[in-house]
Amino acid sequence: MPSSSQTSVGSGALSHAYIQHPSLRCNVPESRGLFYDDANRLLICVTSSQVFSWETATFNPDVSPSVDSIPEGPILSVRFSLDKKVIAVQRSDCEIQFFHRETKQTLTHKCRAGSESLLGFFWSDSPLCDLAVVKTSGMDLFACDSAMNLRLVETKKVNVNWYIYTHESRLVLLASGLQCKTITGFQLSTAGVVRLPKFEMTLASTESNSKPIISAGDVHLVTVYGRIYCVQVDMEAMLLHTYRFYRDAVVQQGSLPIYSSKLSVSVVDNLLLVHQIDAKVVIIYDLFVDSRAPVSAPLPLLWRGYQGSDTSPQAASKENESPESSTSSENIVMYEDAWTFLVPDLILDQTNKVLWRVHLDLEAISASSSDRTSLLEFLQRRKLEANKAKQLCLGIARALILERRPATQVTQAIDVLVTAYSYSVKAGIYKELKNGKTTATIPTNDGASPDNERGRASGSSLDEEEEEVEMNLPSGPADEQQESQLSSPAISPDELYKFVFASVEEMMVEESDYLVAIITEFLRSISAEKLKVDLNIYVMTIRLLARSKRFAELSLFTANKIIEPSKEVALQLLESGGQDPRVRKLGLDMLRQLSLHHEYISSLVQDGYYLEALRYAQKRKVTSVRSSLFLEAAFASNDMQHLAAILRVLSELIPGFKETSEYYTFHGLLNETSSSVAV
Amino acid sequence: MASMSSGDESLRLCVFDLRRGQTEGQELDKILFFHPPELDVSTQLSVTGLSEGLITFTRLFSPEAACEVIEAERHSHVFFEAETDIWMVMVVEKNKDTGAIWRIDALRGMLKEVHSLFVMFHGSVRALLEKEPTGGLTRAQLYPFITDYLSTFQKRSRSEDWCCDLFVGKKLQLPNFRETTLSERGTVQMLTLARDTALEVQSLVQVLDSCAGNLQCLSMILFQDLLVSTTLSPDDTVNLFTFAVMRLTSQALLSSDASSWSHLRKGTGSSETSSRSTSGSIDSLHHVIRPLQNDKWKKGKDGFLVTDIWGLETGGSPDPAIPIVWLQETQERVYLLAYQYKSLTLLLLLPETDIVNGGLSAVKQQVIEQASLRIMKIEEKISRGWGGENAYHVKGYRYLVVDTDLEVSRASPSGKVATLAKESLLALNKLREEVDLEKSRAKRQERDLEICIRAKNNAWVIARVSRDKELYMALEKASDTLLDATDAVGRFSNRYCSGAFLMD
Repeated sequence: MPSSSQTSVGSGALSHAYIQHPSLRCNVPESRGLFYDDANRLLICVTSSQVFSWETATFNPDVSPSVDSIPEGPILSVRFSLDKKVIAVQRSDCEIQFFHRETKQTLTHKCRAGSESLLGFFWSDSPLCDLAVVKTSGMDLFACDSAMNLRLVETKKVNVNWYIYTHESRLVLLASGLQCKTITGFQLSTAGVVRLPKFEMTLASTESNSKPIISAGDVHLVTVYGRIYCVQVDMEAMLLHTYRFYRDAVVQQGSLPIYSSKLSVSVVDNLLLVHQIDAKVVIIYDLFVDSRAPVSAPLPLLWRGYQGSDTSPQAASKENESPESSTSSENIVMYEDAWTFLVPDLILDQTNKVLWRVHLDLEAISASSSDRTSLLEFLQRRKLEANKAKQLCLGIARALILERRPATQVTQAIDVLVTAYSYSVKAGIYKELKNGKTTATIPTNDGASPDNERGRASGSSLDEEEEEVEMNLPSGPADEQQESQLSSPAISPDELYKFVFASVEEMMVEESDYLVAIITEFLRSISAEKLKVDLNIYVMTIRLLARSKRFAELSLFTANKIIEPSKEVALQLLESGGQDPRVRKLGLDMLRQLSLHHEYISSLVQDGYYLEALRYAQKRKVTSVRSSLFLEAAFASNDMQHLAAILRVLSELIPGFKETSEYYTFHGLLNETSSSVAV
Repeated sequence: MASMSSGDESLRLCVFDLRRGQTEGQELDKILFFHPPELDVSTQLSVTGLSEGLITFTRLFSPEAACEVIEAERHSHVFFEAETDIWMVMVVEKNKDTGAIWRIDALRGMLKEVHSLFVMFHGSVRALLEKEPTGGLTRAQLYPFITDYLSTFQKRSRSEDWCCDLFVGKKLQLPNFRETTLSERGTVQMLTLARDTALEVQSLVQVLDSCAGNLQCLSMILFQDLLVSTTLSPDDTVNLFTFAVMRLTSQALLSSDASSWSHLRKGTGSSETSSRSTSGSIDSLHHVIRPLQNDKWKKGKDGFLVTDIWGLETGGSPDPAIPIVWLQETQERVYLLAYQYKSLTLLLLLPETDIVNGGLSAVKQQVIEQASLRIMKIEEKISRGWGGENAYHVKGYRYLVVDTDLEVSRASPSGKVATLAKESLLALNKLREEVDLEKSRAKRQERDLEICIRAKNNAWVIARVSRDKELYMALEKASDTLLDATDAVGRFSNRYCSGAFLMD
């Protein structure tokens, strides 16, 4: 077991979100400032004449930044064009300079000094324009050709106090009015420029003459599940108002409570993380559900060394070798003032000049959630760590059964999983993993101390279960890779069978009735979604029903094809019918219905119905069954008339049978025993 | 007592115990039931005496299975040893002119059935006799029970002038060959469900089970007169199914007369019935229950069926008592709760010993809360997919398929069977009799029979027995050759019996 002090700060602390070593260091000597280009996901550090940029999408600390030289001058903001060929630098409140990275061409764009001032700019991929420049008088949209000629396409005249824009939403919100609560929005999407209806933000005021003002930092654009929301801080009311943007409407969606005078938000895996900065806690909300209840209780953001699960010796030693890993916990002050929250999930620590990515600890969230049905729904919506979510779901399903939860509760859980799978198949998200190793991984207790804490909190059953299953989690990077392969945590019916039902069967020997009840609900659920399942589940169902001697149901299950007929099923019926001939008969009937002549005939002979078997063989022209089977059966029954009859039928059925040694043997036996029977 | 035998010679039915009345002069003590009850004692004694004599005699040769039937010139005597030394004997008059043509196995099937039902409600006759050695209680229970049972057939044939009281001197009518030839007593008729419906039903069964909390709750679901689902053993299923079809299903309730219910509400319908017994004692002291009494069940407001047959709940409650039945499989006494929604009838069986005060109403409440919506949906779904009373009619065929192992049968709808010519039915009836005989001879052996007979009216009557499956069929296409007929059976077997009957 790796020691916990190595892997996390403040061991024993619970958290649902964390930042993790290694960070992206952007410490450049003589740095004049750090910028973030959210369109290109670039972290940009400027010196007086150079622009360093790091790709944050890959978040690889070992990759060195690309460097561009630009003329000296003040820098208010920097953004690369979307094809990254041009670097645009805002020099002042009336001037933007453009530098072509290849041709080294330079262009300066100025706005009318005095009458208006520049608030900012961003690049756009809308067909109408390539660049939007926001000024106090409105927004200018420019087209830009390869030679960097700017051509004004359109001007949106609005009085603007401040604006916010995120590239992922392609939405720009322009605030106007005394309190800055009148918002004009434009979406510069690939479909064109859409003007959103103007709307007023909600702002409470306690005293009649107090007029609080909304600042740009109070409003955040949030993109989750392909929907665009805006969250707005209302300090007076201590509420975070949410608005959802539709094409033709802006609808207020309710409010979240605030516990801090400073606030910021991140979005990780479609979840809204509200950082209550003063309180140094983060609260997670899932805007997908109508309820505005947080996903889990407020807990601090945690700093972790290496990811808990890969504290293998190799990973640890790698950590020690790396000079970059010298960021010790002492340097990191959670939620210090110099932290900037970048869209969607990055935190820039200006003091230490490092960039962190915020991660969710799905295991911790699951461990602290008591409503397993909504937890499963929650996990099924996760995309970032699809594999982990999937394994957690499997673990929860198993635990529900092993804890003998009421069947209705388990049914609900199964319904959630089946519906989610069905949805993801229809939506084309789910793809079957051919890599058996990945599907075989089981949620593991990764040994980091928060897990131990969680284990205690959730009752130990999950942990006990895990120990019994062979752990097959590859270490760090490989795990990352596999997770990225899996785009959806959806669990196919076959996987549910394999990793839930089949894996609990052994432990549920005494409660086969309960397990059958759950399997029936599972079958109902997949039938309702018109899905198929591995026929082994039917084999298992027969085993369970036969074990508890529920003949009536077994008969009904096969008659109504709840248990779908197949050779395997029929053979299991024959096997389980060892004690009950009626069950065996169900198997025989099924073999016959499936036209599995060979198996049918062999089983008939085995049961002593050799005449019927032979008759059937004769009728269906089946010659694959060993003739000696019939002969031996007849001989064993000591009925010489039967033996004679069988010899005759076989002679007709099988060409050349009269020349076989078998024929001679039994013919001889027949003559010896009874000379009166003529063949 | 004056002899009134003349009107009732067509049927005599007695139940007697060979262990009783062994000393001379005590012979009357043997008799536990005799129909017609007004028959004078000496005739009763002569019937039982003859029967006992025959039993004793035949036991000399076959100790395991004594005589099954005695065919006299004008009467058939059908024997059935219901319990060890407790015999039921039925004497029926044979008369071709009046249609009094019987198949012995069908008659024995009735004896078996009435006994099974009796045991289900009262426990075994032997146990009753042991509990109350004078036999008074047994007689008091048997008399209305068997009479109520036999009256069921009366009602079916003549529903107009049906009288629900115990009748004395009324002629009982047994189901004749028209009703018995293409049907099999002691089997259930199943409803064939689509897979998704079957899964819904199974899910409902589990919900019903969970309604009883931690108790084990067996259940059975019927749609009209067809079995949809059961968690009981096959024998218990057959018994309960028979009872439900007789008295509980939506049709059974529909046909019951509303006026008799008002009679009940007035409170005059006490279940105390004094019955004439052969020993002459008055048994009004015994608490006699008539579980098969007709027109006594009614659907309550909550959807549960109620009856006053079992009197009132103890402890001064105004609610009718919940019936208790014996399960054969487990020898357990269970409460029988019946819930009905339209054509769907649900029976819930809860162990008597585990139900504490008020436990049943809690279960009822749970059923209403947890299951009623599903029940509604399932009824709707089944009704939508249900082909009506002729759903299992196969054009051109009049058939009966029996699976003796599973105790399941399916037959042409009675309306279609009624279109058969009398000759065809009689021929088939005769053929069945032959097969019955053959079957009893070939007990425990590999049975494989195939008989095709051309009846006088040129119809083909066909019997096919393959191990535990039996197929009887009448084909009234005069032009058909034997080959055509066997082909037709082969097609039927492949299409509707999953090829169970291999035709040569």
